[in-house]
Amino acid sequence: TEWNVSLWGKRRAFTENVEKLAELVDKKTNGDFRLNISYGGLSKSRENLDGISIGAFEMAQFCSFYHTAKNPTITVTELPFSRDVSLARIAEIYQAVHDHPIVKKDLARWNATLLMPTPLPQYNIVSKTEPLQGLSDFNGLRVRGPGGIMGVLSKLGAVKTGVPFSEVRQAMDSGVIDAASFAPHAHLATKSYAVGKWATTNLNLGSANCPVVVNTDALNALKPAHREVLLGSVGEALAFYVDNYENNTTGKYHAAIKEAGLTEITFTPDQTAELNDLAESVRAEWIAKYSGEFDAQALFDFTAGLFKQ
Amino acid sequence: MAGTATILEDDSTLSRLDRLYFRFEALLNLVGGLAIFALVLLATTNVLGRFLFSLPIDGYVDWVEQAMAFIAFLGIAYTHRLGGHIRMDIVISHLHGRLLWISELLSVILMLGVTLVLIYGSYLHFWRAYDIGDSSLDINLPTWPAKLVVPFALTVLALRLLLHLWGYARAIREGSEQPVAVPLIESAADVAAKEAESVFSEGRQERT
Amino acid sequence: MSLFETMAGMDSIEIGLWVTGAMLLFVVLGVRVAFAAALAGFLGLLWIFSAKLGFERGFSVAMKMAGTIPHSKVSTLALSLIPTFILIGFLAYHAGLTRALFEAAKRWLGWLPGGMGVATVFSTAGFAAVSGASVATSAVFARIAVPEMLKLGYDKRFASGVVAAGGTLASLIPPSAILVIYAIIVEQDVGALLMAGFLPGAVSAVIYAALVILLAKTRKNFGPPVTGFSWRDRFESLPGALPIFVVIGIIVVFIYGGVGTPTEAGALGAFVILCIALFRGARWPQLKSSLMETAKLSVMIFAIIWGVLLYVRFLGFADLPGAFSDWIVGLEQSPMLTLLLILCAYAVLGMFMDAIGMLLLTLPVVYPAVIALNGGEGVTAAESAFGVSEVGCSIWFGIIVVKMAELCLITPPIGLNCFVVAGVRPECTVQDVFRGCMPFFVADVVTIGVLIAAPGIVLWLPSLIGYA
Ligand code: NA
Ligand code: NA
Repeated sequence: TEWNVSLWGKRRAFTENVEKLAELVDKKTNGDFRLNISYGGLSKSRENLDGISIGAFEMAQFCSFYHTAKNPTITVTELPFSRDVSLARIAEIYQAVHDHPIVKKDLARWNATLLMPTPLPQYNIVSKTEPLQGLSDFNGLRVRGPGGIMGVLSKLGAVKTGVPFSEVRQAMDSGVIDAASFAPHAHLATKSYAVGKWATTNLNLGSANCPVVVNTDALNALKPAHREVLLGSVGEALAFYVDNYENNTTGKYHAAIKEAGLTEITFTPDQTAELNDLAESVRAEWIAKYSGEFDAQALFDFTAGLFKQ
Repeated sequence: MAGTATILEDDSTLSRLDRLYFRFEALLNLVGGLAIFALVLLATTNVLGRFLFSLPIDGYVDWVEQAMAFIAFLGIAYTHRLGGHIRMDIVISHLHGRLLWISELLSVILMLGVTLVLIYGSYLHFWRAYDIGDSSLDINLPTWPAKLVVPFALTVLALRLLLHLWGYARAIREGSEQPVAVPLIESAADVAAKEAESVFSEGRQERT
Repeated sequence: MSLFETMAGMDSIEIGLWVTGAMLLFVVLGVRVAFAAALAGFLGLLWIFSAKLGFERGFSVAMKMAGTIPHSKVSTLALSLIPTFILIGFLAYHAGLTRALFEAAKRWLGWLPGGMGVATVFSTAGFAAVSGASVATSAVFARIAVPEMLKLGYDKRFASGVVAAGGTLASLIPPSAILVIYAIIVEQDVGALLMAGFLPGAVSAVIYAALVILLAKTRKNFGPPVTGFSWRDRFESLPGALPIFVVIGIIVVFIYGGVGTPTEAGALGAFVILCIALFRGARWPQLKSSLMETAKLSVMIFAIIWGVLLYVRFLGFADLPGAFSDWIVGLEQSPMLTLLLILCAYAVLGMFMDAIGMLLLTLPVVYPAVIALNGGEGVTAAESAFGVSEVGCSIWFGIIVVKMAELCLITPPIGLNCFVVAGVRPECTVQDVFRGCMPFFVADVVTIGVLIAAPGIVLWLPSLIGYA
């Protein structure tokens, strides 16, 4: 059996969970079951769910904030919970959320089953303006970032400004945006710190959820032995991913920040409390927004409980 | 080669339909042109707003991405009516009479076939976005209106192709050298002359 | 074994070759390039999915997959540059910029040997800075420059040839639609490619001008210089041409100076030219005709883009580009020789095809091979075969290949620029124009040689904004 896997961009820390999974599956089945990974050849990243629903490929990765209307339920994990949790714990939380019946039903509309999360550490901001003195300095700051973080920062007057990922550094250089919020691997990929003057260390307003999904029919059609190998390898692939991310990527990013001489901005407990207040209202808005579509309160409570543990 | 082909007219039903339909196609093409104009104004407003007031347009990229489908597809039948989609005519420019019309008919059939496939496929693409949901990245615009433009414009093209099918079939039956309502094959030089002319069309005057 | 079983049993590279062959057949039969590529792409997807899932499900999957491409591929910010770049050119004509530019070039450069030829070269280069399309540039200058040269006694072959050749500069000097298309296909930064076009475009213009002067010095009765303009005359000619410099300024400041993105530069340029056109008396009829022509040309280009990208999606499933680049890299000859052979293949193909169609059809397969030939992803300049890094190679190859495609606009049998000039000027036959272009063809070959030998000319400006 051969499965086509649709990823995008280049091989990077972000894709190591899939790469490792492919390696494990190949090894454990002696090449009987193989995952052919394609970077961008099979679909545009924002249409990976369409491709899964069509059955054009069997496995794909996507980010929930690319198209919240396609997958409203899993955007719950992108809400600002104002907590710094370990990457391994994020993986556990995401897996639990992905197993929630409301979420399963949401993804079933795409004929998709959530297989594996791609846990990302808390996003932090790199900016090229004069170093932030207080939260009021967010006023007028043009930031590129995903929904939850921007929900909070826009309450402080920040302006959400979308630019394509590949143009981030040039956009920052030219003042189209003042700041970008990313996980470490994406700051490394865009070299945002080469232009920036300051970086936050403890923004803790959430990160993106970019799960790996499989076509449900294809999963059911797998030989039981192959299915067992596939599902049984997820844990190991994730452990490898987390280890690689924490030991290679995060460290490399911190070194790059230091070397580029950026001012590190660490929010005080007071500031963090203020951010958390704003985050509270963003969370409430999310529940209100989706209550008509599904039991948003229940899903939120479930997720919030996991973050508190 | 791109350009504006000659299309002969007479008072047959076919020719009258051709001209009537062309007015509709031209209107759609104008809407596409206005979308381009709107795009220029939007980008200018965005950049000036950012410079002068630090106020970029919210969701600028999303709006541009939505506009692109209108720009890329609304004029597709108009462009085809004028023979504007490029092709390599080095072989068929040597054909004449029935043989030429048969090869043109074959070409139209192939084009119609792929167009029909794309109409249904792109309609389903629209339907997924409409039925399940889809939204743009920054400001969560629904994407289905832009996705609907594709099957709509391709349907307009398919009807145009049916007119061409009729025109070529008639040309084959009559064995005419100069049939009406279909773009005529011209030498590369004729095409180029037309193209040059189109640069100066509609009362354009040099001003110094 | 039935035909269906044989087809189902083929490996994806065999399928890739058959489908590519079918596409070329459609193109030769005269099917519109966009639809020939889309049809081949769909048939390829159908083949691959039918082999995997059976015909019925395979058809459904292939149709749905094909149906996502047209919307998906055109809905990107970077492609919005194409209509704006085309619109600038049409509006610039209505703003009267062409004649003003030619007049200024004549007064400043006319005193040189073959002065009218030199003036034509530099005014086409200047117009290139507001025009994204070569053919339109030649058409406009055939109207303005050729009659003046003929009146002064220049040879009609030379006069028409210099206009046809000068038009080709429009595709290197930004704004350039073809460079945007290249950038999209190879997923390279548009701004970097537009910056990279500046110097090679300027070098081409200088080489053309040197050639004109050389011809004027060596040939008898070539045509006189135009003298007698006072400094006052010269400076008086500048304001009319000023908008051109405003647009060049906007593009340089935006992309190089880092004020905004290429998209914004294009839009602001179009807006400035629009204001000037309105100021100079253009009204709704002129604006409407510009919009109709721009929309038509954009639709044509977009159709090729999505049609070819549908075929490219099939290639992605068949992995033909990977197989082709493995084969190219495995050849036992120097990479430089392979590169030159690829360029020769482009020269032959360009004799029969339109530049945009040719690049779109070939790049998906050729580009990965060239990158692999240079040493693959992430290679540094020092370790590479051509002395350029991966990003550098992608920019450098883009400029060379666009210059190649432009060269084909002035070579028989289908040199479109030559046909256009002959079409505008009844007194010049197509043969006259081709004859007149011959020296410029030689100059272009020299330019391409220079660009290959000295990638620095291409990569210096992009390197200043952090690329290559
Ligand atoms: Na240009
Ligand atoms: Na040619």
